[in-house]
Amino acid sequence: MMANMGIAFAILGAALAACLAGAGSAIGVGIAGQAAAGVTTEDPAKFSKVLILQLLPGTQGIYGLLIAFLCLSNVGVIGTPVEISLAKGVMYFFACLPMAIAGLMSAIYQGKASVSCISMVAKRPDQFGKAMIFPAMVETYAILALLISLLAISGVGAINI
Amino acid sequence: MAVLQMQRISICALKKDRKQILELLQRRGAVELTDLPLQDQVFGKSDTQEQKSLFEKAASTASQAVDVLNEYVPEKTSMLAMFEGRRAISGKEYDALCGKRDEIYETASHLVSLSKKIAENRAELVKLQTQLDQLAPWAGLDVSMRFTGTRTTAAFIGSFAEPLTLEELYRRVAELAPEVQAVNIDLISQSSEQTCIMAVVPRGDAPALEEALRSMGFMRPPSPSKLPPSEQIGILSQQVKEAEVAVQSAQAEIISQAKARESLLFLSDYYTMRAERYQAIGCLSQSRSTFLLAGYIPKPDAAALEAALTSRFDLAVELEDPGEDEDVPCALRNNGFAEPVEGVLESYGLPLRSEIDPTPIMACFYYFLFGLMFSDFGYGALLCIGTGLVLLKFKNMEPGLHKMIKMFFFCGISTAAWGIVFSSYFGDVVNVVSRTFLGHEVSIPPLWFLPLNDPMKLLVFSMAVGVVHLFTGLGIQLYLHLKHGDYKSALCKVVFWYMLVGGLIVFGLSTDMLVSVLQLPFAVPAAIGSVFGWIAAVGAVGIVLTNGDGSNPAVRFAQGLYELYNVTGYLSDILSYSRLLALGLATGVVGSVINQMGSMGGKTIPGVILFVLVFLVGHVLNFGIELLGAYVHCNRLQFVEFFGKFYEGGSRPFSPFAAHTKYFKFKEEN
Repeated sequence: MMANMGIAFAILGAALAACLAGAGSAIGVGIAGQAAAGVTTEDPAKFSKVLILQLLPGTQGIYGLLIAFLCLSNVGVIGTPVEISLAKGVMYFFACLPMAIAGLMSAIYQGKASVSCISMVAKRPDQFGKAMIFPAMVETYAILALLISLLAISGVGAINI
Repeated sequence: MAVLQMQRISICALKKDRKQILELLQRRGAVELTDLPLQDQVFGKSDTQEQKSLFEKAASTASQAVDVLNEYVPEKTSMLAMFEGRRAISGKEYDALCGKRDEIYETASHLVSLSKKIAENRAELVKLQTQLDQLAPWAGLDVSMRFTGTRTTAAFIGSFAEPLTLEELYRRVAELAPEVQAVNIDLISQSSEQTCIMAVVPRGDAPALEEALRSMGFMRPPSPSKLPPSEQIGILSQQVKEAEVAVQSAQAEIISQAKARESLLFLSDYYTMRAERYQAIGCLSQSRSTFLLAGYIPKPDAAALEAALTSRFDLAVELEDPGEDEDVPCALRNNGFAEPVEGVLESYGLPLRSEIDPTPIMACFYYFLFGLMFSDFGYGALLCIGTGLVLLKFKNMEPGLHKMIKMFFFCGISTAAWGIVFSSYFGDVVNVVSRTFLGHEVSIPPLWFLPLNDPMKLLVFSMAVGVVHLFTGLGIQLYLHLKHGDYKSALCKVVFWYMLVGGLIVFGLSTDMLVSVLQLPFAVPAAIGSVFGWIAAVGAVGIVLTNGDGSNPAVRFAQGLYELYNVTGYLSDILSYSRLLALGLATGVVGSVINQMGSMGGKTIPGVILFVLVFLVGHVLNFGIELLGAYVHCNRLQFVEFFGKFYEGGSRPFSPFAAHTKYFKFKEEN
């Protein structure tokens, strides 16, 4: 029984990465979308600019998907099945956590930054280049988390336990 | 190339040539006018605000007329119309349309008034319809709704807010007013919400009946018509018809004017130009028969303009270099390779007078980093072909858009190249298709290595790229200090930092810990490592000792220490380049996920159909999102990490006196 729990933990990690990061992106893109819709009502010509700003918090969901996929293919749920010990499964679980948690929080706050930048573009459309940078600053931390999850998952694969 | 050198230009000319000279300047669009404050007994300024707003009003009337046409006769535009740019108009066409401008203006006003008429009639229709709705229950009444009775009888016309039958009405009246002997009630209409009646009684019983009716909830109509309702309805219906006909005829008339669209657009541009010219006149200083004009002109354009002016008019042109503390506008000029990223620089801020134009250096890094983040041959090729076709097909694109499309073209080339280096072709489509549908797996070997198999190697490479990028930025700062002869700053702010950061990196590479963490295949020998360690120490001491500017040595030392703390900034800057790895991997892995999902149907006909569908939808989505990600993060690396090392920006952009038209280009003919 316990021997089989390894893979369950690994899948829990993958599911959390996809769920939390995806949920964060959904919230972020959602609130940014409300602001974008408001701006587009007033000035439909700004559609493409506010759409880009709305999409910025959407990347965390993709990073979460990426980590989940890597984890699932490493433990053999996708592709060729492999034997996963309990310790290794728990390692995969922890390896997924940075992406899951940082993805969730950073996407929500990136969404809030996007909302402010959308109202900035509404008033000063010429400052679009700068408006794009503020939400991108928040994303840095999702990228750092992605990096650690990525390195951890590929590292765990090489450990023999 | 880089930042264009500006010169001050002053022109003194005869007033009789004013119109022609201004027209010439406007068409050339090379001079930014400055408002001349000169006013004395000889020179004065003319207030042109009034004419200017008159022309602006005419231009907006023309645009409104075009809007009216667009509403009733929509113009068919394709998706690609945005690339087309303004149409160039020949001198002949210009003169022909110019001659007809009053006529066109009349058309424009007429169109605007027609649209106003339609709006008015539509409002009228709504009002009439409400009145008709109110009258409808009374259609059966054949006397006026204001009828109160004859000499001997009294009539009550009104309604109850509930459905009542005739019997019920008689019963209630009898209960509430038993003394009333003779009453006649006519039911005019009945619905679930109201009952409309007319009651007639002898004059003597009127007060008693009225009392009874009121306690039953009787209400007189709010706006009774003078005429009997049926007649009134007829009149209103007639008015409705008239309003409808008026709307239709106005619409038909608007539609018949559809051909006027081009000339209306011309008119809008024409008056916009004239308004701009009058604004320019407001900047001039004028005497009775001469005027003075001053402004800035890019040096390369100055000689040609001077020649063009002096050959045609009697005037004096003077060119001089601007003074040190003048607020000179900034314009850039770069070659075809660097020019496309000017737009990115503009969105950050144009270089100050003390700075250089970083566009050419930035362009190299921009394409390089963008490609590294997008890194897929398929996506790169798509981007290249798409933007290439647009560039070929639409030669007349507006400059800003043209730059951007061209930038993505170069980025596409770089993306495709990195895709080959890391063997990414729409993710791993070659492997998946060959494995699923052909039976044996084929894979294209990467030129360098597969990032997913060795992410550490790509991480180290990304950070190395980051170090090069940052050191280049620092190098530009060094160049600027040396150019201004500020050798102390060059040493304290740049050389010591080179020593500290560079020394620390080499020293770190000689330690076992870092070498094993980064999985490097080599290690710097300990001896060299310690030499660089000492170099770093010298740099650190230099920074602490020289970067303070207080008078108190202790304060200076503290300031120096604080400056040294910036070394953490370098650490985070270098780590920031790890996004190159993360985004690069994301493109490939998400692409692989899509391919894998598509191949789940196996080697069957539905399986192939599923694969094609998933492939198309999935890769279009991934392409869009990764393109956006690469663009945003490439900008960030330039703005925050690279510019942070040397660039401030914020110069005033050069905005020449020119024809800022929306629809047509008026070429300088010669």
